[in-house]
Amino acid sequence: MADHNSHDMDDAEALPPTPGARVTTFINRKDVRQTVLLGLAYTIIFIVLGRFAYPHWMPKVMSKQMQSEEDILIWFTVISAPIAGVVLGIATQSFMKMHRGDTPPEDGIAIRTNTPVVIIWTAVSALFCTVAIVWGLVALNTESIAAATDAPKSLIVDVTGSQWVWSFYYPQQNIHTHTLNLPVNQPVTFNVVSDDVNHSFWPVQLGVKIDANRLVTTIAHADPTKVGPLDVKCAELCGLYHAYMETSGAVQSPTDFNNWVSSIQATGGVQE
Amino acid sequence: MTTLSHSPAASRPVPNPHKSLITKLNMGTGMVVGIIFCWGTYYAMKAGRDMTDAHNVNKVLLMSMFAWSVGFLVGIGAFIGPFRWLIGKDLTDEEQLYLAGDGQGISRYFRYCTDHKVVGIQYLVGVMAMLGVGGTMAMMIRTNLATPGSHFVTPVVYNSLVGLHGITMIVAMIIVATGPFGNYIMPIMIGAADMAFPRLNALSWWVLFTAIPVLCSAWFLGGIPTGWTAYAPLSDQAGPGMNAFVATIIIFAVSTAVAGMNITTTVVAMRAKGMKWNRVPIFVIGATISVALAIPAFPTFMAAMIQTAMDRTIATGFYDANVGGSGWLYANLFWIMGHPEVYVILIPGVAALMEIAPVFVRKPLFSYNAAIAGFAGIAGLSVLVWAHHMYMSGWMPSLNGPFMVTTEFISVPTGLLFLVLIGTLWRGKPWMKLPMLSVYAFIWDFLIGGITGIYLSDVPADSYLHGSMFVTAHFHYTLMGAALTGAIAGLAYWFPKMTGRMLNERGGYISFWFVQIGFNVLFLGMFMAGAEGQPRRVADYAHLFAHANLISTMGAYSVGLGMIILLWSVIHSWRNGKIAPMNPWGAKTLEWTVPYPVPLTNFETPPVVTSDPYGYGRSAK
Repeated sequence: MADHNSHDMDDAEALPPTPGARVTTFINRKDVRQTVLLGLAYTIIFIVLGRFAYPHWMPKVMSKQMQSEEDILIWFTVISAPIAGVVLGIATQSFMKMHRGDTPPEDGIAIRTNTPVVIIWTAVSALFCTVAIVWGLVALNTESIAAATDAPKSLIVDVTGSQWVWSFYYPQQNIHTHTLNLPVNQPVTFNVVSDDVNHSFWPVQLGVKIDANRLVTTIAHADPTKVGPLDVKCAELCGLYHAYMETSGAVQSPTDFNNWVSSIQATGGVQE
Repeated sequence: MTTLSHSPAASRPVPNPHKSLITKLNMGTGMVVGIIFCWGTYYAMKAGRDMTDAHNVNKVLLMSMFAWSVGFLVGIGAFIGPFRWLIGKDLTDEEQLYLAGDGQGISRYFRYCTDHKVVGIQYLVGVMAMLGVGGTMAMMIRTNLATPGSHFVTPVVYNSLVGLHGITMIVAMIIVATGPFGNYIMPIMIGAADMAFPRLNALSWWVLFTAIPVLCSAWFLGGIPTGWTAYAPLSDQAGPGMNAFVATIIIFAVSTAVAGMNITTTVVAMRAKGMKWNRVPIFVIGATISVALAIPAFPTFMAAMIQTAMDRTIATGFYDANVGGSGWLYANLFWIMGHPEVYVILIPGVAALMEIAPVFVRKPLFSYNAAIAGFAGIAGLSVLVWAHHMYMSGWMPSLNGPFMVTTEFISVPTGLLFLVLIGTLWRGKPWMKLPMLSVYAFIWDFLIGGITGIYLSDVPADSYLHGSMFVTAHFHYTLMGAALTGAIAGLAYWFPKMTGRMLNERGGYISFWFVQIGFNVLFLGMFMAGAEGQPRRVADYAHLFAHANLISTMGAYSVGLGMIILLWSVIHSWRNGKIAPMNPWGAKTLEWTVPYPVPLTNFETPPVVTSDPYGYGRSAK
C-alpha cells in the first residue's frame, strides 16, 4: 500500500504543511485504513491459496521438472498477492461506499491524475514482471543445462503418437511397449514423433510436455526422482478419440525396472 | 456541448425512388439469389467430377459456400453502387437517402441499410443470437462433462461442439463491443453524421451475416474435429464439415477488414470540431486501437485458411509433412493472428468500462494518458508474443526465452488499465447501477485472468499447464470475465440511447449475480481440473477429475440461467421498458446530447467540443 503515500494529497481539504505531517494525515484517514486492512486480508488469502491449493490439487511430484513447476505456481501466486491486494482492497473499499437510488450522487473529488502514483505503479509492476521473467529464465536455463549434461547417461525412450495410442521403444534395451516404465534417479530423454496428426506427449507426474509431429522428432527430458505410478496423456486435440489417448506406466526402483525389461525381452521384446 | 431540438424522423417524407431496383431488394431477395448461386455452383461443379474423391468434395462445397455469400450480397443489392461506378454513374441522391432508411420503420433492418444506427442494431441482434447459440453449445459441453463417462453426446458431436462453440464465441466476442456500440454509438460520440464509408458499413454487417449459415452448415456436413484452432494436419485430414469452417473464416476476415478500415477512418477523419486527440472519449480510443490491431491480424488467419483450403482441394501440402510441408507453418500463422486477436476482443470491453466508471463515480477518468499508454502498449507488444502458444510444440525451443520475456512484459501496460480503473474508483462514491456493478466484476475477473496468464507465460510452468483445462479457465476469465462483462456493461449503459428505453434493473441485477457467481464457480472448478492434470477438449475423463468437473457444470448452469434472464430483460425492456430520458446517467459524452430516435444525421447542427468528456468532480482546493 506504500504506493499510495502521496496519493491525491493535492485535494486535501486542509493541506498539512510538511511532507511528514501529510503522510501522517493520509495514514490516519478512515478510508485509507479500511483499504489497507482489506488489501492485507486479500494478500493473505491469496498467499494461503497459492501455498496450499496447488500442492493439494496437483498430482504427486515425481521429477525435478515437476518440482520446479509447482514451486513457480506457488511463488508466482505469492508474488502476485500484494498487487491483487492493492487492486482488490481499493475496489472493495469503494464498493462499500456505494450510492443507491435513481439520481446520481454528488460529484467526487476531481483527481485527474497523480504522476508519482503512475510512475511508482509502473515501476513496481515492471519490477514484479522482471522478477517473474528472471525466475522463468533461470529455471528454463537450469533445465536446458541439465538436459545437455545428462544426455550421455540418459535412458532413451522413442515415443510414437498415433491416433489414438502411445507406443514406446527403448533402443538401449530393444523393447517395444505400450506402458511407460522408467527407473528412478536416472535421467531420461524422450524422442517424440507422430504417425499422423499432432499429438502432445504428457507424462503428467513428470511435468514434461512436448508435441508429437509427423516426420519431425522433438525431444524432451526428465529427471524422475520418486517411485510411483505414471499417467501418460495426450494434450493436443487429435481427432475422434483424443480423450481416450492415454496409457499408464510407473517410475520404478532400478531392480524393478530391470525385471520389467527382462520380462519383456523374454517375450520377444514386445510387451503383451 | 449543444442541446438540440429535433424533428421526429417519421414526420419527414420518406424518399421512394420508385423506379430504382434498390427499393425491391432486401434480405429475402438476398437469400433467394444466394441459394440459387449456391445450388447452381454445386450442381455445375459436381457434374463430371468423381465425388468419391475428398478433394473434389472439398472443391465443390467450398465454392458453393462462397457462391452463397456472393449471391446473397448480389441479391440484397450490395453491388449496385460499384456496378453504377463501372458504367460511369453513381446512386442518385434520392436512392442514397432511401438506402439510409430514414423513417422506413422496421423493414430497414432487413435491407442493405447504410445508417450506422441501423447497422449497430443489426450487429447487436446478431451478436445476441451468436452468444445464444454458442452458449447453448457450452451448456451441452458442460452437461457431457458433468460426470465421467456420461456419453450425453458422442465423441464426434463433442469435438464439433468444442470447435463450433469456440469459433462462434470468438467471432461473437470480436464484434460484441465494436459491432453494436462501435457502429451505433461511436460516430455520435465523436460528433460525426455517419461513418466515413456508410455503404462499406452495411457491407461489413451483411458479409458477416452470410458467414452464419455457412458456419451452421458444418453440423450437416459431419462437424469439425479440430477445435477452433483448426490445427493442421488434423484439418487436412478432417471431413467435409471443415470446409464450412474454412469458408466462415475467409468470409469473416473480409468483414473485419472492411469494418476495421471504416472505423479507423471515421475516428481519424470525422471527429467534431475541437475534438483533439486528447479530448476523444476513451471508448473511441480503445475501439480504434482494437480494430487497427485487427487490420493486420485477420488477413493472416485468412491466408492460413486459404492454404488449408488449397491443401484440402488441390493437395498443395503446405501443412503436410509427407510432401515437405509443416504443421508449424500453420501454428505460426494462426497465432500471429491469434494473440493480437485476444486483445482485439479485450480492449473495447475495457474501454467501455473506462467510459462508464467516471460517469457513475462522478469523478474524472484517472490518468487518461495512462489508459492510452496501456492500450497502445498492449497492442504493440501483442504482435510479438504469438509463439507462447507454441512453447511445447517443439518449434524453436531456443525462442521460448525471448517469447517469455515479451509475453510477461504485457503485464506492465495491462497493469496500467487496472491503475486507471482503481484510480477512478478511489475516494469516489459509486452510483451502483448495473453498468457500474460490471466494473467491479471486471476487476475481479480480469485480475484472476491476468495472474493466471503470468503462470502460463512462464515456460517451465507452461510445460505442466499447456493443453490442460487450466488454459481453458484462464482465457475464459479474460475473454468472458473481462471482455464480455465490459460488453454487457456497455449494453446496460447505452441501451437507453439505442432503444429509447431503460433496461429492466431488477432483471439486470438478478442476471448479473447468477452470471458472475456461476462464472467464478465454473472456472475456478476448471482451474482445479487443470491443476489436477485434466487435458482440455476431452469428451471424457478419469474419476480423479469428477469433483472439479461437477463444480464447473453447476457453475455453468448458473451462467446459463443468468444469461436467459438477461435475454428476457433485454427483450422485455426493448418492448415495454420505461421510456428513457435523453441523458439518464448525467454523462458528458456527445451521444447523450441527441434525442431518441436519433435523427438521421445525428446532429441538427454539428457540435463543437471544448473539453474532454470527463469534467466531473469538485475541483481541488
